[in-house]
Formats: sequence, C-alpha cells, structure tokens
Amino acid sequence: MSETPAIEAVGLSKTYGNEVRALVDLNLRVERGEVFGFLGPNGAGKSTTIRLLLGLIRPTAGRAALFGRDTQNDGVASRRDVGYLPGDLRLADRLTGREQLDSLTRLRGGNVALRDELCERLRVQLDRPIRQLSRGNRQKLGLVQAFMHRPGLVVLDEPTSGLDPLLQAEVRSLVRQTAADGHSVFISSHSLDEVQHVADRVGIIRQGRLIDVDSVESLRERSLRHVTATFAEPVAVEQFTTIGGVRLVRADGRVLTFSCSESALDALVKQVAQHQLVDFVSQPADLEEIFLELYRQDDDGA
Amino acid sequence: MAPELLRRGILDHRRALAGWCAGIVGYVALIASIFPSIEGSPELNQLIESYPDVLKSLFGITGAGNLTSGAGFLDAELSSFMLPLLVLVLAIGSGARTFAGEEDAGRLELVLAYPVTRRSAVVMKGLAVLVEVVLACLAAVSAILLFDAIVGLDLSLGHVAGAFVWLVALGVFYGWLALAVGAAYPSRALALGIAAGTAAVDYLIGGLHDLAGWLDPFRFISPFWLVGQSPLQQGIDLLGVVVVLAASVVVLAVGATLVERRDLEVP
Repeated sequence: MSETPAIEAVGLSKTYGNEVRALVDLNLRVERGEVFGFLGPNGAGKSTTIRLLLGLIRPTAGRAALFGRDTQNDGVASRRDVGYLPGDLRLADRLTGREQLDSLTRLRGGNVALRDELCERLRVQLDRPIRQLSRGNRQKLGLVQAFMHRPGLVVLDEPTSGLDPLLQAEVRSLVRQTAADGHSVFISSHSLDEVQHVADRVGIIRQGRLIDVDSVESLRERSLRHVTATFAEPVAVEQFTTIGGVRLVRADGRVLTFSCSESALDALVKQVAQHQLVDFVSQPADLEEIFLELYRQDDDGA
Repeated sequence: MAPELLRRGILDHRRALAGWCAGIVGYVALIASIFPSIEGSPELNQLIESYPDVLKSLFGITGAGNLTSGAGFLDAELSSFMLPLLVLVLAIGSGARTFAGEEDAGRLELVLAYPVTRRSAVVMKGLAVLVEVVLACLAAVSAILLFDAIVGLDLSLGHVAGAFVWLVALGVFYGWLALAVGAAYPSRALALGIAAGTAAVDYLIGGLHDLAGWLDPFRFISPFWLVGQSPLQQGIDLLGVVVVLAASVVVLAVGATLVERRDLEVP
C-alpha cells in the first residue's frame, strides 16, 4: 500500500463572490518528507491555498486532503498532525508568551516534545506580555507553536518576512531538520531566495493559477541573473545578444543591462571580458522577472 | 482540546466580569439602602398611583401600595429594568466578543487551524458566557440576600432563588444570541446590534403589551414576558424560564451549525 501524500489537492478552487477567482483548479501533491516551496507575488493566492488546506475557508470546487483526510469532511483529523504559522500572526496580546504557549499546548492536547528545546534555541521571551514584544519575538512564538509537537506537516505562510537574517537562518535550519525527520514542510514565500536553499520542489502561483512546479535545481538552471556591465568605452551590443539565454534589457551608452539564465552567465562574462570593464554587477532576478521569463517560454511553446 | 476554549474564554474576560459584578453589587447596595426611607412613606404610593400607566407598566409596578414592601420595591427598582440591563450588557458584550470579536481581531485563524471543530469552539465559548452570566447573577442575588439581612427587606427565599434562575435565563438567551449571530456572520458590530436590538424590542413588548392591544399577541415571543415580570413578589413563571432556556440552546445550536458552513474572516 502506498503512503498517502502529506498534501493532496484536486481541482481546488476558490472564488469570492462571483468574480474574484482567488484560486483556480489547483492540482498539487506534496509527499511525506518533502519540503515544498510555494512561490508567488502578494495576492497571488498563496494564503488562500493555505487556508483551504487548513479548512479555514471552503473551496468553491475541488477538494483537498492532508494525510489522506479530507479537509472539509474530516477537518479535525486532517489537522491533527499539522503545525501552522499564519502569515499575519495574531496572538492573545494580554497573555505572556508562556501563557499563550500553555494555552495552545492544552488546545493541542499535550504532547509537545520540542517546545522547551525550541524556546531555548530561538531564545523566546516567555515572561513578558505579548503586546510588549517586537514583531520578531512574536514570530518566534508562532514558530515554536508550529513545530512544538513534531507534526508530520508544517505549513508556514511567509515565515521570515520581517525577520532578521539570524532568525531567517534559524528557520531554514528548523525546516531542514523537520525534513530530515521524514516530515513535510509547505512554505510560502514571495522570494525565491528564501526557499531555494531548503525546498526540494517549488511551485509558482500567479493570479490564482499554479503556473509551474519544478525541482529547485531545474528552476535554478532556468533562474535568471540580472547583469549590469559598465564598460570603459561604448561597445557593440550585437556580440552579446547572439549568446543563447542572454537578453539585452537596456543599453545606455557604456552601461548595458542583461537578463541572463545562470547557464548562460559564463558565456556572457567571457564575452564581457573582451572589453575593458569599469563595473560588473550580477544579481538574482526578482520573481516577477522569472515569471515574465516563464510566460515568454509558454508563449514560445504555444 | 476544545475545553481550553472554555477556560480561556472565562479567563480572558475575568477583569471585565469582576468589574461588572462589583457594579451590580454596588447598585443593589444603593437601592437597598434607600428602602428604609421609602418604607415609612405611604405618600409615595399615592404619587406612584398618579403615574401614567405606561410608566407603571414598564417599571413593573403592578398593584397599589406595593412599593413599600421589600419585594415590590426591589421588583420596581431592580428586576424591572436595571438588573436585567446590567446582566444583559455583560452577556451580550461577552457573547459578541468571544467569537465575532476574536475573529475581527484575527485571532481565530490560529486557534481554528488546531484540531478543534468550529462547532465545539462555539459551544465552549457559549459555556464560558454561561459561567460569566451565572457568576454575575450570583453576585446580584448574594447582594440582595445580604441587604435583606441588613435592612430587613422581608424577602421570600424561594422567590430570591427564583429570581436568580430568572436572571440567568434572560442573560443566557441574549448572550448566546449575540454569540450565535457572530458565529453565523463575522461581525462583532452585527452581533451586538442584533442581540441588543432584539432585547430592546422584547423588553418593550413585555412591558407594554397590556396597554397596546396590537402588541398583545406578540408577548409570547418576549423572554421578558415569558419568565414573569415580578420575580420577587409573584415568583417566576417556571415554564416560561424553561422555554427561554430551551430557546437559548436552539439559538446556540443554530449558530454552531451555521459557523461550519462559512469562510472564516482572516486578517
């Protein structure tokens, strides 16, 4: 008997009113032990998807299951082995961190083996009222409650937005450790950088539609660099545009800006090096650019 | 487990509840301490007698001369208006806050992502409202008994016990109505408005149905009429109390059913 996947969505759709199609026909499988990155710009439908998976909102069509348990008809059972960090975490402001975690522990029904270890590791402030805590310190409480019972599936909605780099690294290591234990993580983000170091596969959602699911490696192969080269004197642009995978975005005298796939970077750099160079900047392209690239490819294929 | 929501519901409101109980006790003390000076003034009864029927009806002044008895005085000054008002404001506020208010504040998203059903969340929060109402009514009745002993109100113990059940029934009905409206539709303002508006209409029907003939057939929908309007003088209408409590359970059950069918409002 094959194991049921941690997440399975079939034709999952959500329309608000009769107009706003927040999610359209999502088909998705996240296996046990897999870390799945869910990428998209704000308002693309990431949180809608997560809320459907947790039974917080009702699908207009389709269905979803966690560990084979339907999120609508068997909601409590489907959520039993799940930890969730909301994108906009609201805690009981008047409680201290400890009281809040005590309350959530009782709501969970006990068995929170990791709680103390996590509090220590993240240096959670337990004895101050939550309303006095900074956003980062509140987020730590949210992380503790999401991981504290060693759930088979952790769902994190933009977990590191607004966190300092140290804490971001801590979240990444928590996610890796969870996966190493054979558990699944579903992590939404609007930044490829945030998930590419932890995720096995990445899904990209835009305007309510999942437009691509790929392994991180192949996404990175296709992932774009944003390259700006400043030359000592004007150069002819044709020599660059003939390189496969390189596109000239802007030519401004001695300053050329390219969009370039990582696999083409080497060829581009060698060509650039033929000339006297003043400055050279290579940055990861933002997600919007990758989307545009994906769309261009879709159009080419059509 | 869901019972944590009952515990949390009570604890979250404990300061407000304590303040409310203190206010109720203070009001009872104020009214009771006036009684000795009313007791010996029959001219007051004559004055009251000259009041318009509407006022007498609304304030539970049912017969001649009854203001000078302890039970009649308290019925007119406490049970006819202020005591139900105080308990209802507490109950409706708590019922609206515990679900719709928490949802408005975005705090239900995390809680309902835990392995609890919304239905059980509504029921547990309903029980928390019940506990609050019972404690507030206990405070009221304890104060009445205390001042009975101090200033000699000459109350029947059975009637005081009846008044307790009477007050609990009214509080629970409107508290659960507010909770149920908030469960069915995600708005604290609507929950407050519908429960308070219904209470106001029911109160007027209960008080005025005798005088305005066209209102008379509607008295059966008014919990104020159903439970009896002079609990300390005439006792309560036990069947009416049972009907109101049963209606409360139905209202909460409807709320607990409807909450399962809708989308949770999230920040």
